[in-house]
Amino acid sequence: MDMSFAERFAFNFIDDKRWTYIADGLKVTLQITFLALLIGIVLGFVLAIVRSTYLKTGKLKLLNLIAQIYITVIRGTPVVVQLLIIYFVIFGMVNVSKILAAVMAFGMNSAAYVAEIVRSGIMSIDDGQFEAGRSLGFNYFQTMIYIVLPQAFKNILPALGNEFIVLLKETSVAGYIAIQDLTKGGDIIRSRTYDAMFPLLTVAVIYLVMVMIFSKLVNMLERRLRNSDH
Amino acid sequence: MKLKKLTSVLLASAMVFSMAACGSGDSGKEASDEGASEAITSIDQLEGKTIGVQTGTTGDIYVTDEFGEDSVERYNKGFEAVQALQQGKIDAVIIDNEPAQVFVSENEGLKILDEAYTEEEYAIAVSKDNTELTEQLNEALQALKDDGTFDAIFDYYISGEGEAYTIDESVERDGQLVMATNAEFPPYEFHESVDGEDKIMGVDADVARAICDYLGKDLVIEDMQFNSIITAVQSGKADVGFAGMTVTEDRLKSVDFSDTYCTARQVVIVKE
Repeated sequence: MDMSFAERFAFNFIDDKRWTYIADGLKVTLQITFLALLIGIVLGFVLAIVRSTYLKTGKLKLLNLIAQIYITVIRGTPVVVQLLIIYFVIFGMVNVSKILAAVMAFGMNSAAYVAEIVRSGIMSIDDGQFEAGRSLGFNYFQTMIYIVLPQAFKNILPALGNEFIVLLKETSVAGYIAIQDLTKGGDIIRSRTYDAMFPLLTVAVIYLVMVMIFSKLVNMLERRLRNSDH
Repeated sequence: MKLKKLTSVLLASAMVFSMAACGSGDSGKEASDEGASEAITSIDQLEGKTIGVQTGTTGDIYVTDEFGEDSVERYNKGFEAVQALQQGKIDAVIIDNEPAQVFVSENEGLKILDEAYTEEEYAIAVSKDNTELTEQLNEALQALKDDGTFDAIFDYYISGEGEAYTIDESVERDGQLVMATNAEFPPYEFHESVDGEDKIMGVDADVARAICDYLGKDLVIEDMQFNSIITAVQSGKADVGFAGMTVTEDRLKSVDFSDTYCTARQVVIVKE
């Protein structure tokens, strides 16, 4: 290509307002990640509580079985296949928003991983803490919510942060169902300008910056929670 | 208590966000309701409808220019756009005529509008640094047109008459010709099991085989995403991009093209 660096930059981003593909894509990526993260946390915590309650007390046998099957299936299949199944099979005949399909796919996927992380946190809390809670007159779930989970949360925060970084990057396959996320935005520019370097590097840098900001936030939260140790 | 607060904040924001997600932008892009009841019968009716295309194809470029960013749904594969059309997720698909014929014949309830969307010419993409190869390709294409090989290949894949091209084993070969293509584009290039072996068949693949026989080279086919083909040619990962590619101004900035070898049409697929 006989264009100078500046010309190539202009051709890739300024001409035809191509930068809007990146900007709009970024919004979509953030939207999907945030909503999927919420589903992941809520569903993941529920699954983890079911699993650890069963392991500690032997109750909730049926729910535990369902949770176990869910985790096995979700962790055992690639997220892009799950995304396509949700869009083309489960929502095959109903016309739902693609974003909803993606949020469900990524959220449900993340939940399986979050569940195992949270379960490891709950199991790591000494049984004495449960006993202490019970002797204060809390019932099992009160003990779980007020005594065990806050301590567990602190321990698993780095692992959770890790999972959400993975989630953010995994949303890059959303383009498979015609969602124009950040990666797809870069791909569209690439398909117009036939320049691989600029769009791909730009997209990569944006992901990197987002992950760095996110890690920083997790670090801050970690430090904040550690304060209560003293 | 902290956790409770945290969860309630999260849940509240989840609700706000999901409502925002439903309300914003996306709803406008869904297949419009009237599209389902009132069948599209002409190209004029496409205005304001949601049109599916394959990313980076000329269909994509034309639809984006004519109908605007909000009416395009870009799928990675042509058949996925067709599948989405069938499921009522979009209102129409704009794609090259021959693949459209195949998709419509294999899927019930779809039809092609009589009126073509545009006409265009296919050619082979070659790196700008390799003008020698472009000349060789042009010479080979001309020779194949003159001796009838070309027509025979078209007759087989498009009209279903005669046989696929058979490689001339007696040719002495020196070097390779690496062809980048996207083998999801019947009848130009597609995967087919020949005698239990997976091969890439189609007009482009057979013309490439005939060209290689003429030039005395071994053909290597690399199957990749359509929008990676030009980059592959540019960066020297492939010698030619041979994938039913239309010559456009923008593409000419990045690669050279051989002489055109056939005329194709972009057509509109809609639900019956």
